[in-house]
Amino acid sequence: MKQAFIRMGPALPLGLAYLAFFVAPLLMLVAVSFFADDKLTVLGLDNWRKFLFDSFHWKVVADTLLLGLKAVCATVLLGLPLALVWRGASPFWQRVLLFVAVMPLLTSVVVRTFAWIVILGREGVVNQLVLGLGLAAEPLRLLQTELGLVISLTQIEMPLLLLPLLSVMARFDPNLLDASASLGASPWRTLFKVVLPLVAPGLAAGALLVFASATTAFISQSVIGGGRLVYLPSLVWQQAMINANWPFAAVVAIVLLVSVSAVIAVIALAGRIAGGRVHGAAA
Amino acid sequence: MTLMSRRAALLGAAALGSAGLTRPAFAAGSVTAAIYPGAWEEAFREHVAPVLKRQFQIDLEMQGLFAVDQVAKFAASRGAPPFDCFVLDPGPRITAIDRGQFERIDINKLANKAQIPAGMADEWGVATGAQVVGIAYNPKKLPRPTGWDDLLKDPWVSKLGLTGFGTTFGTVSLIELAKVFGGSETNVEPVFTELKKVLGKVAAVGTPAAMPGLFQQGQCDIMYTNTQTVTTLKDRGVDIEFVAPKTGAVSFITTLHIAKGSTNIDNAYKYIDAAISAPVQKALSEAPYFFVPVNRGVALGAGLPMRSLDEMSRFVTHDWAKINPLRAGWIDRFNREMAK
Repeated sequence: MKQAFIRMGPALPLGLAYLAFFVAPLLMLVAVSFFADDKLTVLGLDNWRKFLFDSFHWKVVADTLLLGLKAVCATVLLGLPLALVWRGASPFWQRVLLFVAVMPLLTSVVVRTFAWIVILGREGVVNQLVLGLGLAAEPLRLLQTELGLVISLTQIEMPLLLLPLLSVMARFDPNLLDASASLGASPWRTLFKVVLPLVAPGLAAGALLVFASATTAFISQSVIGGGRLVYLPSLVWQQAMINANWPFAAVVAIVLLVSVSAVIAVIALAGRIAGGRVHGAAA
Repeated sequence: MTLMSRRAALLGAAALGSAGLTRPAFAAGSVTAAIYPGAWEEAFREHVAPVLKRQFQIDLEMQGLFAVDQVAKFAASRGAPPFDCFVLDPGPRITAIDRGQFERIDINKLANKAQIPAGMADEWGVATGAQVVGIAYNPKKLPRPTGWDDLLKDPWVSKLGLTGFGTTFGTVSLIELAKVFGGSETNVEPVFTELKKVLGKVAAVGTPAAMPGLFQQGQCDIMYTNTQTVTTLKDRGVDIEFVAPKTGAVSFITTLHIAKGSTNIDNAYKYIDAAISAPVQKALSEAPYFFVPVNRGVALGAGLPMRSLDEMSRFVTHDWAKINPLRAGWIDRFNREMAK
């Protein structure tokens, strides 16, 4: 017991802070969701019923999760080649690429989001280029569309994918690539059979960070997505801050937490299975 | 000698220190005011706090809280108010009155009472700023609109930036639009019917905070908004003009209130007095805040559709006691009708 306390001792302050400032508020959130009225005087399941038996709310859940998955796909498709380039670069260029990858984190997400208005707007950089090259007669509608939102989230969330991915990339043995090539595997076969399984844990860690961040990116969803794309975070904001209906806001917040956590668990499991298969085979 | 000098120096320092320490006892203390985070907090920190300190020796402590948070935080405090003063828009003000969260105000205790126009103070609170709402458009890209219904007609509709019932200005604008099509303060059904017909053409459906940015970037060239936004954008060089619709511009006030059970009532009155005083109101009406003043002694800016505050009594106003119970339903309906 004493030994356990000594082992756990250093983590105690953080653990207590976690209990007080995360677990306790979370339990309060759950408790609030079981009130039927906005003055928190009558207990009831009314708000849960209101959410669960309305197809519109399920559409919002599906749209939110799909947005996260699309952001994950886009960041992986663009981030993985960048990580491969980084793996093969000289130490100098590795430092440069790492700086470029991390640089967006040095700017506020609000600034990055508003910068995307300038890029994607009717008179923005993209449309000026498209019109200037004669590729379209009318400005493209990019802002306030899911495509525009996914494009901006891809840039905004990219560092979250790259950082864990690069740390795994840095650890894998380059001799394995030579071994694969000397055994006659094509570059594509090496990518799918050697590289991807080896970096799967880093890829999964990055993917789940991107997913969690994209699904809860209230500012980007509101500013780039606009009022016609309804996602769970804006529903929480509306209910809590405008309608003052905290029980219903709590229900939506719990649904967001549970649904996002469920997908994150699946991504983490997939990463573990892929990683475990490789490491199991290696062992 | 040296020792004595040191003692003398220490005694002198102690005397000076005690003088410093006893100063707050002579000062009138402090007042804690809830304030909207962002521009309001900055403006009050810059212009109200120094006046309160200089004139009344009162320190202003501010808690940055949105309206809903103020009402909820007070309710959670159970008789020990977390702040002495509220600042609220008309909707939350009605909620707070219903919940008995305000002390009654005796306007005679305010030195600036004579400067406040009729309708801007009552038994529950005093206006500290007004909003005038109408149509804003880019005169270089669109002809001047005349009424709310122009928003849904060509050529304006394809350049229209819409926002929902999430803000006071959005709510009152959509109510006025509904009225043109036969609706009323409690019936906005015509808005949904009419918006549905033109939704495919509308340039942007944005969140209120994003609208100035969307206008500035040319994503939309016409929207409903307040004069404060128009003046701020104009100040940044954006081509924008304010139009009072032919049915009248809408006005509403943001009010200061004393929290029920406050033990600092005298200081709360002084805070309110400072906030509505002519120098403070003048400063708040200038760049970068552009608040619409509530003190008759302050000259009105060129961008406002009235030459005196008393003219505002002719503007369209709304009964938020009727709107409040319906608004959550309208917000939900707007989500569903607009959702792709």
